[in-house]
Amino acid sequence: MQFSEHVREHRWSTVFGYVLFVALMVAGYYYNITFVQLGLIDLGTRLVGMSETAVSAWMAALALCTLVVAVATGVTMDRRGWSTDLRTKLRLLLGVVCVQFVLTLVAPAVRTVPEFGAWILAASVGLGVGFPVSFSLAVDLVPAPDRGYVAAAITAIAYVAANAIPLSWSVDVFSRVMVAAMVPGLLALAVLASGHSDRTDAVLSDLAVQHREFGRGRFNHPEPVRARSAAFVVPVVLMFDVFFVDSLGFLRIIDTPTLLLSSWQSPALSTRLFIAAAHVVGAVMAGVIYTNFSLSRIFLWTFALFALTHVLYTSDLRLAAVFPSLTGGATSPLNPVFYAVAVSFYTTLNFALWPDLSTPGTVGTHSAIGIGVAGWLATFTSTALALYFQAVDLTLLSHLNVVQALSLLLLSGVAVGLYARRLVALARGDGGVAA
Amino acid sequence: MSPTEAIPLLIVVLLMVSIGGGDVQELSVTFEGDTSVDALDDVHVVAGGTTTVPSDASVTGDVYVIGGTAAVEGTVDGDVTLLAGNLSVADGATVTGTVQTIGGESSVADGATVGRVSAFEAVTPSNSPAQRVAGFLVQFLVLGVAGWWLAGRHPVLLENVGAAITDHALVSGVVGSLAAATLLVLFVYMAFTIVLIPVSIVGLFAELLVVLYGQLAVGYLVGTRLPLENTRTATVAGVGLLLLGLEALGAVPYVGGLGQLGVAVVGLGAVLNTYFGLQTFEPVTIPGGAE
Repeated sequence: MQFSEHVREHRWSTVFGYVLFVALMVAGYYYNITFVQLGLIDLGTRLVGMSETAVSAWMAALALCTLVVAVATGVTMDRRGWSTDLRTKLRLLLGVVCVQFVLTLVAPAVRTVPEFGAWILAASVGLGVGFPVSFSLAVDLVPAPDRGYVAAAITAIAYVAANAIPLSWSVDVFSRVMVAAMVPGLLALAVLASGHSDRTDAVLSDLAVQHREFGRGRFNHPEPVRARSAAFVVPVVLMFDVFFVDSLGFLRIIDTPTLLLSSWQSPALSTRLFIAAAHVVGAVMAGVIYTNFSLSRIFLWTFALFALTHVLYTSDLRLAAVFPSLTGGATSPLNPVFYAVAVSFYTTLNFALWPDLSTPGTVGTHSAIGIGVAGWLATFTSTALALYFQAVDLTLLSHLNVVQALSLLLLSGVAVGLYARRLVALARGDGGVAA
Repeated sequence: MSPTEAIPLLIVVLLMVSIGGGDVQELSVTFEGDTSVDALDDVHVVAGGTTTVPSDASVTGDVYVIGGTAAVEGTVDGDVTLLAGNLSVADGATVTGTVQTIGGESSVADGATVGRVSAFEAVTPSNSPAQRVAGFLVQFLVLGVAGWWLAGRHPVLLENVGAAITDHALVSGVVGSLAAATLLVLFVYMAFTIVLIPVSIVGLFAELLVVLYGQLAVGYLVGTRLPLENTRTATVAGVGLLLLGLEALGAVPYVGGLGQLGVAVVGLGAVLNTYFGLQTFEPVTIPGGAE
């Protein structure tokens, strides 16, 4: 790992860059998985008085708007050269954090549907600008060989914070905690982005040129990856699948009190700590596999873990269906633990993949398309499908059965695809190419 | 008893039923409440609550107790097997087959009529030094013979796996623990489908063999550090030292167990990463960064 070399050789600006990137990404991701994904549901249903279906529809609109804004931002960043200008990216990020700070502060005061809609639109602008900007910082701050481990650290810290800190899934609580945490972060980012102090300016000057050395992503050798090439499109499609499967399953799980209260919302701290530990283990494993194996290997493991997780969930439900007296009984702690490992796998992959599929000149567009299509579009479509399932009164078992079928299909599809690729390569006589 | 707690013992019951080879058409399970039975399916499993065969009842079928309480006061035309929980065969009750106690608490009244009473004494190695020594020797013999053969005929296999263990311990450990956990869960859940019980047994056995192969490679590595020139002898000696070391580790509470587990998963991962030693393991090279 190059980080230890930088520490040994006292390259403190570079070390600070690692810490800054991890801190920014952890803060952003924690905000996303708590306030955006969970707080908004509470805001819409409890404070505004909308039905869960209506809130989900608004969440899907948020995802779609964020995708559009993110792609527009990413393309603009690359065309105007902002992707290679660290100071501009930090100023943009400061603007995004300011917007989100105000939105977070006012969220508990939202009471009507138009206010909620306006909040969603404003948030989608903030998030849409924030994602490509923050992901593009990787080309300035983290060398390609260390991105797997850095991504693992981000995932582990964010999920430990989300699971171990016992917060009620209420927008008031999230708002208070986020505002308190954002104030010092905002001030620190303002000092850094302004560059008024000589010391911060010197550090920024060091960091601003690092993209020449660190910027070219792992998969851009010997030739840079283009957005229209299979080398980019295939990972986007696979990540879309992963996000879709996760989101479709999780939407139903968090809507089922017996599953939720025995896992992520368990009153027992030990259960939540167990899940947090599983996230850490999963993130470390993903970091190691991402760094040491081809991309296909980590995709295979991710799909395998999701398939296994849903087999576990559906098996428990089938057993409960055969023996109805057990329906109110405890659910297996193994299920959320496997789920946590699977989620950590693809989250780690997500943090490392898009910068690694980019060069400093393309990181804006590639990050925006990657996260926008794979993350936000998948969330939009899975939410829409979950709403349809809800409308037709699909049972929990039938819903998770669909998710299980999808994950098994994807696992076998990836395996067959890899085998076929090797087969084609051998038929062409070039011996195959490592991903 | 929750499904999670019930699953392992239910699988054991299913395995016992399938090994028994009887023509089982129906199986029923009681999880809770007080139940009085006048008729049984081919196999009845008591997983919770209290199930009673009343004194005036005569039922045909096998009974397995994996939790709760089973009270036989009438006649059971079949076997009664206790895996966990409580079983009582009352005065005047009849069990035409065998009352077998594997675990749990059982009591058979003097006035009860039972075809055969059998109690399974679980092997507890820690209680008997002789049994522990015998177990160690059997393990040493099996691994030693395999090591002797491999080190003589295909040393490159052990070299490749050994190199993956020493040079890439973290990667081997990660792959080994992932593979061990996922395969274990997969095979256990396969068994629960009943149809896949044979595949499950073969899979678990194969997983065990791969773990042993990994241990063999660790033993080979230990052997290379011994002042012995003959590779075969060194490997056998290394295997012996490794097994002794693992035994010693087992004596340390918690940490010792983790150490043993670590050796097992690193070995397993190294075997998988090198395709059983057929090739060396080389992690991908990521260009970029400070050179």
